[in-house]
Amino acid sequence: MSTTERPAHESDPHAPAIELRGITKRFPGVVANRDIDLTVAAGTVHAIVGENGAGKSTLMKTLYGMHRPDEGTVRLAGEEVVLHSPADAIARGVGMVHQHFMLADNLTVLENIVLGAERLHGIGGKARRRITGLAERFGMRLDPDRLVEELGVGDRQRVEILKVLYRGARLLILDEPTAVLVPQEVEELFGNLRDLKREGLTVLFISHKLDEVLAIADQITVIRRGTTVADGVDPAGVTARELAQLMVGSELPVPELRESTVTDRPVLELAGLTVRAGGRPVVDGVDLVIRAGEILGIAGVEGNGQAELVEAIMGLRAPDAGTVRLDGTDVTDWPTRRRRESGVGFIPEDRHRHGLLLESPLWENRVLGHQTEKPNVKGPWIDRRGARADTERIVAEYDVRTPGIDVTAAALSGGNQQKLIVGREMSGNPKFLIAAHPTRGVDVGAQAAIWEYLRAARAEGLAVLLISADLDELIGMSDTLRVILRGRIVAEADPATVTPESLGSAMTGAAAGAGAPADAPAEPVPAPRPPAEDAAPKEDS
Amino acid sequence: MNRLKNSPLALTVLAAVLALVFAVAVTAVVLSASGFDPLSTFQAMLDFGTKPDSVANTLNRASTYYLAAIAVAIGFRMNLFNIGVDGQYRLAAMLAAAAGGAIALPPVLHQAMIIIVAMLVGGLWAGIAGVLKVTRGVSEVISTIMLNFIATGVIAVLLQKGRLGHQVAGSDNIGTKTIAPSGRVAGIPYPGANLQVFGLIFLAVAVGVVFHVVVNRTRFGFDLRATGLSATAASAGGVNARRMVVTAMLLSGAAAGLIGMPQLLGASYTYGLDFPTGLGFTGIGIALLGRNHPVGIAFAALLWSFLDQSSQILQFNDIPKEIVAITQAAVLLSVVVVYEIVRRLGLRWQQQTVAAELAERGPAGTKEVAA
Amino acid sequence: MRRALKISLVTVTGAALTLSASACGGKKADSGDGGDTKKTIKVGLAYDIGGRGDKSFNDAAYEGLQQAKKTLNVDVKDLEATKGESDNDKQQRLDLLASSGYNPVVAVGFAYAGPLGKVAAKYPNTKFAIVDDSSVKAANVTNLLFAANQGSYLVGAAAALKSKSGTVGFLGGVDTPLIKSFEAGYTAGAKKANPKIKVDVKYISRGTDFSGFSDPAKGKTIAEGQYDAGADVIYHAAGASGNGLFDAAIEKKKFAIGVDSDQYLTAKPAAQPYIVTSMLKRVDTAVFNFVEDASKGTTKAGEQTFDLKNDGIGYAVSNPEAIKDVQAKLDELKKQIIDGTITVPNS
Repeated sequence: MSTTERPAHESDPHAPAIELRGITKRFPGVVANRDIDLTVAAGTVHAIVGENGAGKSTLMKTLYGMHRPDEGTVRLAGEEVVLHSPADAIARGVGMVHQHFMLADNLTVLENIVLGAERLHGIGGKARRRITGLAERFGMRLDPDRLVEELGVGDRQRVEILKVLYRGARLLILDEPTAVLVPQEVEELFGNLRDLKREGLTVLFISHKLDEVLAIADQITVIRRGTTVADGVDPAGVTARELAQLMVGSELPVPELRESTVTDRPVLELAGLTVRAGGRPVVDGVDLVIRAGEILGIAGVEGNGQAELVEAIMGLRAPDAGTVRLDGTDVTDWPTRRRRESGVGFIPEDRHRHGLLLESPLWENRVLGHQTEKPNVKGPWIDRRGARADTERIVAEYDVRTPGIDVTAAALSGGNQQKLIVGREMSGNPKFLIAAHPTRGVDVGAQAAIWEYLRAARAEGLAVLLISADLDELIGMSDTLRVILRGRIVAEADPATVTPESLGSAMTGAAAGAGAPADAPAEPVPAPRPPAEDAAPKEDS
Repeated sequence: MNRLKNSPLALTVLAAVLALVFAVAVTAVVLSASGFDPLSTFQAMLDFGTKPDSVANTLNRASTYYLAAIAVAIGFRMNLFNIGVDGQYRLAAMLAAAAGGAIALPPVLHQAMIIIVAMLVGGLWAGIAGVLKVTRGVSEVISTIMLNFIATGVIAVLLQKGRLGHQVAGSDNIGTKTIAPSGRVAGIPYPGANLQVFGLIFLAVAVGVVFHVVVNRTRFGFDLRATGLSATAASAGGVNARRMVVTAMLLSGAAAGLIGMPQLLGASYTYGLDFPTGLGFTGIGIALLGRNHPVGIAFAALLWSFLDQSSQILQFNDIPKEIVAITQAAVLLSVVVVYEIVRRLGLRWQQQTVAAELAERGPAGTKEVAA
Repeated sequence: MRRALKISLVTVTGAALTLSASACGGKKADSGDGGDTKKTIKVGLAYDIGGRGDKSFNDAAYEGLQQAKKTLNVDVKDLEATKGESDNDKQQRLDLLASSGYNPVVAVGFAYAGPLGKVAAKYPNTKFAIVDDSSVKAANVTNLLFAANQGSYLVGAAAALKSKSGTVGFLGGVDTPLIKSFEAGYTAGAKKANPKIKVDVKYISRGTDFSGFSDPAKGKTIAEGQYDAGADVIYHAAGASGNGLFDAAIEKKKFAIGVDSDQYLTAKPAAQPYIVTSMLKRVDTAVFNFVEDASKGTTKAGEQTFDLKNDGIGYAVSNPEAIKDVQAKLDELKKQIIDGTITVPNS
């Protein structure tokens, strides 16, 4: 056991865990990393911040052995190494937790962890003991026999971390780990990271959520345009705003709405909407009204029915009870396409799964979801010229950074993919837009732009259902806030007064469970709803 | 921009050529190991394969292979595995032959009737699998394989004397009533060859063109491709997945119904015990080899057909003709592996190129940002 | 794409199996070339689907060819068909033989009828023969036909006479018209010998599915069923599947009757006591005679029927233990068929 935990530590116990000197990595025609220096002390949490496309991923891939740098040296624990492959990196105790989880949904936690590392501790009792041991040691509550598909995002992430620890990592690279988490989950993650640190492990934390970086990191390195602009910054001596300016060199966007544009014309009305999965209601009697010019935010811990609610509104899943009305018309039985044609836009939570055809060119992605609408089609034919021209328009108007519209969607960075989706869903003047995590995994520049598009559309009378795990975004961008817990709307909050912390406790049901309304999103009109178990709250409009 | 679009294509072609070279090399090794001289063997195959009769027969076989592969590709394009093309075309050919023999119509109408019957039968037979999939969740792989067996049984039952079967005097064959000349399609003479090229080779070409146009230029084709590329994204984009499954199976089956037509209307004029079998399975391999692309499939069908053709000379030289099966299998296996590698390389290469172009453009566009 | 890989693996595995199967199928024809005295003629032979190694029809043709090679000192070339091939492939195969100077050329099986018609017209100076087909008529085509129903009649009588249970079985490979004529003769013979006999008729496969000629496992299962249902003698006309019948006979200790060649001689020892007789269809004789005629330039076009009269059809007496008590009766029936007293039905 102990041998796998202490690889490559012989040379010098006090040497930095990582020491990069003059790392340069060129891709044909471009320098992705230029002269990067980085020193990470052992047993610390070191954050790397930078905009998307700044070169963080390239640097991490270098560290993880996915490619070799053209120049420069990598030292791990004082020893100069050349990493040929991730297997090499793992053998040297470097593990990586990717932003997009790489787990098999239909396998259990145990099986996922052991998968591919069967040789370490077999697949039986020894592996199980090892996993439960690790989980206990680092304070991760996980049932090794649950199917991964039943797990929430936070737990999935812990599975990923355990996977890496199981393989004997002493240095963990976490790529945007908090992008998918709610504040409580972030807190838990940070708790886990502190435990790791206490055990002497080193964590390399990639993020652009600067408050979080400041909360957890011992040191911060800022990367911009392929090179380090600040190395080893002490978080105590810097503010989020200063960091952000180092990152982008420009003003930071703030999620906020100006004057209210809410009208009294309801666009989307849900009444008693109920969706069951395996007999259990996952959306439970939801009543909602969203008016023209209103952004209604739904706060909730992931997995509390938000996804099913969205699917029911989009017609991807037939509700078991209740109605969906759009502009006064009952659309409950309409297929997805007809809803879209009547002016429903959809920015999905997972743009790779639901929003894009990754291997298709941008202009074809422009057509997706709008393949019955102008300018994409003429009768039964795809109007290539029209679709291409309109894609050019979106690329220009929404500042999608791409060399052209014939590149595949997969070639774009996350932020640019998202801007393309936003542009697409805003075209054709929708009446109603579902924006699920619209700025997830997107750099600050794109984030500001997306917020601005939402504001502009709202001003023109768009009704928006906003779902986000970023509570600042939720509070700042919503006219009205609702909290969803176990499929029910359990509370509403006034975005003008609520704080992320109080909203967070309402989301977990902590406030309600404790029966202490004072702790809840206190100020807003109706204090937190009674515990989810009793009568569903009805008043919400 | 063209650079971005074209290079992966060039890479694909290169990959296919490499796979072929690899397969030929494997074959050469097997030949040598078996005590035959690879060079003279290949030379004999080439000589025989390029004789006028061989060319004509290669084209004929390729046209049926092509139709079979297109039928398979329609399903593949949306991740549906129509393994039942074989049963679909046999049943379709049998019933179409019976209809064509029973009803005499003026030329053109007669052929059209036979072809339409074949498409309907093939489509409906495949449609069963589609309906089973959307209503009962039965995997189309299983149901189409089962339908193959059922088709064999149905043909056996119907192809009896007193039902649809007729025995030719003096022959041990039993077949449907022979289609009158008004329902036949004349062959195209090939210079120097005894054999004629099937007139319906143009049907194969037309089907390829229609496939290309429908898949790439129509809304329906877009929905089809989108479903194949990402079923989740397609349904979020309003594609009715259930309807697409049924429609795609119907179309795949209708195309499958055409597979037997060149042979039926160009040479056999009856569906008998000696009607070619197993083309549907060959079609799967060819569709894979051709990457489900109409032009790629055309090359794949010709290659496959040429190998089949030239293998005939092997036993004449006392070399097991199954050597060619090794070549075909090696091509298929290596090409699938290589395509996947190319796909990944292409994707990565494109990401890098995009990053590069943006970086080149970057400094000018963002100079106000510089600290 | 991963699925694609899987599929291609399946395809490749399939190809490999085909290959190994054919490797087992046996060595090529020309191992015993031996002396290099001048060969007078070159004889070509094209098999039907199933090809060499079926221990029956195609093998019988091969035997005739081998015999011709030994005794007549001729050059031979035999080519096999590919499963699922089309008429054009068959036509090319014949063409290849004819154009390479093979004369005579023998086509084995009805499927060659159409292709042979075309090739025979193109090579008027080449002599062709086709086995089991009389639909092709040409000045240079000999149709080698067999009155297999007559032989089946005799073994049908033998079966009925040997049966104690009052039920005999017929195991057909595929329900083609040809095999049905075997069935018709067999049933008639059995009824003749014992009007109250029950004949249990089963086919292994039907219609265009020719697997029934090459599926011993299925043949065995069906034969077991027939034995269990009461039959105590079963006659097969199922090519290689007939080996399954013999296995079933060993297990059930019941009688079986072979077909085409004298299968008592080729069966494994354990099966021999149970093989009463075999219906002999002398494809080997027919092929040999035709080649001999060709070497002398005396082939005759048109139908040449092999039947009881000219010993092209017969029954085997290599297992005297089993056959001797009924032999007298069979010979009497044989005489009556030859002199026309009995007309054997064909279907």
